[in-house]
Amino acid sequence: MKNTSVRKRGLIFIAIGWALLLIGDRVDELALSQGALVATYALAIASIILLTGYSGQLSLGHSALMAVGAYAAALSTNNLGLSPAIALVVAAFVAGLFGLILGFGVARLSGPYLAGTTLALAVSLPTIANQFAILGGEQGVAFDIGLPPARFGEEFSQYKWFFWICALAALLMIWLISNILASRYGRIFRALRDNPVAASLSGINVGRLKVVAFSLSAGVAGLAGGLLVMLISGVSPSAFPLSLSFSLLTGAVVTGVYNLKGVMLGGLILVAIPEIAESVVSRIGGSEGFTVALPGFLVSALLILAVVFTPNGPGHLLHKKKH
Amino acid sequence: MNQFITAVLTSLSSGAIYALMSISLVLVWRSTRVVNFAQAGQAVLTTFIGYEVTVRSGSYWIGLIAAVISGALVGAIIDRFFMRPIFKRVKSGPIVMIAPVVATLGLLGLIQAIIGFIWGFTYVSIEAPVSTDGYNLFGTVVAFSPFNLMVLVAATIAMLLLTLLFQKTNIGLALRASAFSPEIARLSGIKVDAVRTLGWAIAGAAGGLAGMLYVPGSYLHPNAMDVLLVFGFIAAVIGGLDSLFGAVAGAMILGFAINFATSYISYKLVFITAFALLITVLLVKPNGIFSSSKGRKD
Repeated sequence: MKNTSVRKRGLIFIAIGWALLLIGDRVDELALSQGALVATYALAIASIILLTGYSGQLSLGHSALMAVGAYAAALSTNNLGLSPAIALVVAAFVAGLFGLILGFGVARLSGPYLAGTTLALAVSLPTIANQFAILGGEQGVAFDIGLPPARFGEEFSQYKWFFWICALAALLMIWLISNILASRYGRIFRALRDNPVAASLSGINVGRLKVVAFSLSAGVAGLAGGLLVMLISGVSPSAFPLSLSFSLLTGAVVTGVYNLKGVMLGGLILVAIPEIAESVVSRIGGSEGFTVALPGFLVSALLILAVVFTPNGPGHLLHKKKH
Repeated sequence: MNQFITAVLTSLSSGAIYALMSISLVLVWRSTRVVNFAQAGQAVLTTFIGYEVTVRSGSYWIGLIAAVISGALVGAIIDRFFMRPIFKRVKSGPIVMIAPVVATLGLLGLIQAIIGFIWGFTYVSIEAPVSTDGYNLFGTVVAFSPFNLMVLVAATIAMLLLTLLFQKTNIGLALRASAFSPEIARLSGIKVDAVRTLGWAIAGAAGGLAGMLYVPGSYLHPNAMDVLLVFGFIAAVIGGLDSLFGAVAGAMILGFAINFATSYISYKLVFITAFALLITVLLVKPNGIFSSSKGRKD
């Protein structure tokens, strides 16, 4: 029974991948680069859902965890000469390890501690990055994965290569996460979220499993961070502002914070919002402050509306209507 | 010796500002069980109002009063027309635990964006009412100015007033009772919801005061208080999150740790010191140093 559901999920992911491959051949460069960004955001949102939706904890500093992965990827390529593919794996592991250490201190506590500590991390990250020479200060560190392999032919563009890497990484990781969540660990995480007391009475080590969930989530976020800086070919503190954490949280809440199926939608929304803001500004004009603040305004408004009207995600709303 | 005295004095004056922010977080936490992350936005908004009034009237003191009053109003409005409906609406489902916190985050983003709409993203500053040049101590100029002294005095007065309010008045008793046990307070005839709104108002006023005391030594910007929010949170955690005395003591510990680390070791250590202190407290004594309640960790 269980094997068939695993196989079914695997087939669904292969089908999605096949569809993306076909779509990728038929759209222009801009759409490809945006598609790569959607996949990256979807992966980052999946890491939030893993943490918030399944173990019930709130992180306000996933941008900082993404930055940890991004710096790990860039530094291991530049200084150790690792190939970019391995660098992305390194990104996930370094961020996961960082999450494990931080989580050991904070994630096992219930209450606002994880939220506040991760917020502190995200706020202090730019200053800390500027103060250590190895992190390259304001300019940051370059991260260049090079041209696509020659065997794909002359026609194969850089953006298409990015899109392939991001989509493949996102699909693989989300497939992995959905399998974890369908396993024993998924049940344990849900138990932690719904009733920590009952979970601990059933013999679950609540503190340890919360740390595991946070560490897993940090690893996924680290990989997403590595992909993000690959797309902008360099990592700098300004690539990971606090507002990125808020955007990811918005993406997760809007798609339903415990619904992994919605991550693609969340990624699409996060990529669409700056575009919408830009078109609004180009149509009605406005001051510089208006132009800069509009995307943040839209994201925050969306977050508040989602919390007030569909706190359990749009899927839940449809489900309720049926009854 | 001079370095030591300077470090002590600057620790006290920056600790006083952290204490105000920390108090505003603790007040809301006690009554609502939510860390109000929007406090950073509220404080910037009310400080901008204070800035406008200062510029128009030409007096810092009128601006200060305007900031404190508008801080109280904004806090009360947010609780009455934003938080209360959200608590009423989101009652079930797995998100119920985090919905109020997520709502305060959304509010933070919204307030900061609106500030950006109105005042833009340029850095502005408020002229300090007294000199910001350091005192001359034994023939050398130290990094402690009359303005720092004023910050210390103003924050101390505010804390004394708060202590009087909490310990000597009926309103203070109602505030303490509602924080301690809302059900019993309600049974005793206290209007818990109204008292909670009052708590938010006091918290907002403290945030406005913190902003007006912070900005003359720094700059005003939509994100200017993010750092202050983080320091206030760390101070509150050190103090145990639900004790007002703990909030002040935690802020002083944080102020001393940061100023001594930066003045004796390296100016680079501001955030690292704060972060290390936070993690150490959470590892060693997650209930905070001054907390009376038990069983937070589970």
